[in-house]
Amino acid sequence: MGNTFAKLDENENAFKGRSTSVGSGTMRPNNIAERRRGVSMGLSNNVRSRANSTGSQLMYKKKSTRERDLIKESFAKQLVVRYDESVDGGYLAPHGCYTFEKLDYDPSLVRSLITARKLAPFYIPLQDFDESWTRDELIKIVDGLPLHAAVNENPEEFEDIPIGNLKRQNFDELIDKSLSKKEQRKQRSKIFKARLHRKRIMWQEQENVAFLEQKLESKREPNPSKRNLALPSPDLNHTIYKKGIECPICFLYYPEPLNYSRCCLQPICTECFVQIKRGDPHFPHEEVDPTKPVTSDDEKDPNLLISEPASCAYCATPNFGITYQPPTNRKTGIGGMPPGSYKAPRDDEINVNDGSDSEEGPRTPSKSPEDPEVVTSDMIRPDWKAKLDKERLRLARRSANATAIHVSNQLVDPDHPSRRDSNTDSGPTPTTARSQRLVPNPMAELENQMVEQAIRLSLVDEEERKSSQRHR
Amino acid sequence: MASLPKRIIKETERLASDPVPGISAEPHEDNLRYFAVTIEGPEESPYENGVFELELYLPDDYPMEAPKVRFLTRIYHPNIDRLGRICLDVLKNNWSPALQIRTVLLSIQALLASPNPNDPLANDVAEEWIKNEELAISKAKEWTKLYAGKR
Repeated sequence: MGNTFAKLDENENAFKGRSTSVGSGTMRPNNIAERRRGVSMGLSNNVRSRANSTGSQLMYKKKSTRERDLIKESFAKQLVVRYDESVDGGYLAPHGCYTFEKLDYDPSLVRSLITARKLAPFYIPLQDFDESWTRDELIKIVDGLPLHAAVNENPEEFEDIPIGNLKRQNFDELIDKSLSKKEQRKQRSKIFKARLHRKRIMWQEQENVAFLEQKLESKREPNPSKRNLALPSPDLNHTIYKKGIECPICFLYYPEPLNYSRCCLQPICTECFVQIKRGDPHFPHEEVDPTKPVTSDDEKDPNLLISEPASCAYCATPNFGITYQPPTNRKTGIGGMPPGSYKAPRDDEINVNDGSDSEEGPRTPSKSPEDPEVVTSDMIRPDWKAKLDKERLRLARRSANATAIHVSNQLVDPDHPSRRDSNTDSGPTPTTARSQRLVPNPMAELENQMVEQAIRLSLVDEEERKSSQRHR
Repeated sequence: MASLPKRIIKETERLASDPVPGISAEPHEDNLRYFAVTIEGPEESPYENGVFELELYLPDDYPMEAPKVRFLTRIYHPNIDRLGRICLDVLKNNWSPALQIRTVLLSIQALLASPNPNDPLANDVAEEWIKNEELAISKAKEWTKLYAGKR
């Protein structure tokens, strides 16, 4: 048993093997059944080979807790910024403007999109940019930037949660066995999260240290051909940062070209783009007549729950997507020349290049979400359908439970011994809503409804009373 | 304590250097995510000549999550309840990270100019607004004088 898991872990480490080619088969399986659209992008092999895996069946096929933990860890490992995994001066994982917990996109898909140059890489942002900086000043500032932003080591939510020895995969000894099974599960999940948070900091820290050491070593190395070519050359840093743009969402300064919204051609950095996603499943919002009673969400049919594709942050066009035109003046890192070998074109060559340069942003008109060049928000989170189904199932289960409790209350009611026979066989079905309640007597039904109504009203009253007190 | 994102710092600076007419927003000294806000009632609305105090809080996930805004001054409005909570689409489902403190406060000012009783938060007010608009408007004016007088 223990051996199996150790092996699994080894396989994951294989992923860390810094494969510089896309589609090396080390990607994790992903639920992509919903989204075949991304297929024509040079990713086809990856995407297809994964298409048959989970998809919306995810929820039906129970994975063991440990399997799920390992998947989460492997996702987290793909979110570590590695200095030797770069594309055109940027990286394959976010710099850290948003917290770890907010990174819930599919990292292997995004990595593939970046290396295929369908999505801008994650650049290290500058907090500010001053046009008066000289070339040397700019290079020095960029050289001093960390691979990843500082991370809060002890966020409030993990306070007082033991993490044990992070080197050991098993942490069962940290769980309080005197708790109920349910509480133990909760505690286990909390500890797992706290441990993962620490591990991510550790993994990123190792990478930061390696980056720094390599930089120092390169500076000491007099022979340029012996320097680590994975490090960006000063020319590369100068070229990409000398002309940048502020992302209108995080207000940070990034090298051009950024991504542009497919609909209204507004710039957006990749770090903000991967944050934009569908809202949580919800019931459709309806305008109501205040003179009529409102149906509470609890009484609605779970199948009415909807999930809408993210809208463009700038113009609210549904189904947000971006296009990206890779730079023509550099192709470094994965699929290009080593970043350390990059030399800026000489002055006399620049003029020739500038004319055809795409750095002004796309001049193409807006594109449909089906366009093969477009990357939509749904594409990088192919599990949205499974999430919707899961939420529907959860609500249906809750409403069935409520019905079951209701029916069993009637069963034990001594006034109606006759019901026992008629009700026990049929029992509550998972889809039963209030409307399908099994009550043969219309008078009793009416009475029930009145009691329910009275309870609801008194709850509302109580709420009103409390709120008016608070207001005083 | 995590450091303040650059975006919040820049927004605060820009609010101070380029203020919106009729609106003020200043961060608290001890919590730079918490703003004291005033909005002047729009001209030709029942709230004209009133100055309304609000509080605005930028949650941890801002700008991916909308700011939390609440009226502190009492106001008679179908989309604002007794606790000062506001029913406004951009504060909920229609929030976009490209919106800012500035644009949110402008939307609230616009809501004062055009109440929408068909999407109410304060049911009693909305009901009155639909049944007898004239009376409701006079009540809104009265409350404005009573609670939102200029100091």
